[in-house]
Amino acid sequence: MADKLLNEGVARQVQQAFEQLQEPVEVLFFGAKSNCEYCDDTRQLVEEVVSLTDKLSLHVYDLDDDAAIAQEYKIDKAPGMVIAGRAGEQVLDYGVRIAGIPAGHEFTSLIHDLLLVSGRDSGLETSTREFLDTLTQPVHLQVFVTPT
Amino acid sequence: MVLAHRMAMQSPWVEAEMVEAMEFPELAQRFGVSGVPQTTINYGAGTVVGAVPEDYLVDEIRQALEIRV
Repeated sequence: MADKLLNEGVARQVQQAFEQLQEPVEVLFFGAKSNCEYCDDTRQLVEEVVSLTDKLSLHVYDLDDDAAIAQEYKIDKAPGMVIAGRAGEQVLDYGVRIAGIPAGHEFTSLIHDLLLVSGRDSGLETSTREFLDTLTQPVHLQVFVTPT
Repeated sequence: MVLAHRMAMQSPWVEAEMVEAMEFPELAQRFGVSGVPQTTINYGAGTVVGAVPEDYLVDEIRQALEIRV
């Protein structure tokens, strides 16, 4: 059994943050068997995070073995994740994706994403909401980050 | 940092992917990522470098939607 990626102090902090979780969240993880340096670590990291609370669940897929599901969720990278809502058996896909290992600063982003989706509210300013509500065509945003 | 994800949460038209640039160097190179965070709108129709306020990203999206790539 591999050592934990989250030390006790961090796990406790995350657990504290998770007291604000509201609705259930499902993480859809997509790994790959080859050419994926960070798949195992990312999967372990997410497993550890999800295990901290009953409000979160994890479904593990393989980019190749589950190609149809990957396509359905438009996942083309491994490790890739969809942070979705869950209502009973239903997965609520809001379009929140992470590609690559959420380590360093991006670990905080992962926790924020889980809280965001759990709250089912964007928290955006009224003017931003008003603009987004006028959209009639797809907007695809890719935010490039580095872990340090 | 999660502004793009907030926008995805708000609108069914918005999909937002946070990409670890060093793990996907070809993609980062394709969109000329030099500083982070960099937000690429509709596969290169718009680019925003740095963490920006909501209204700034809104303006960039608005402009990008008028451009076809």
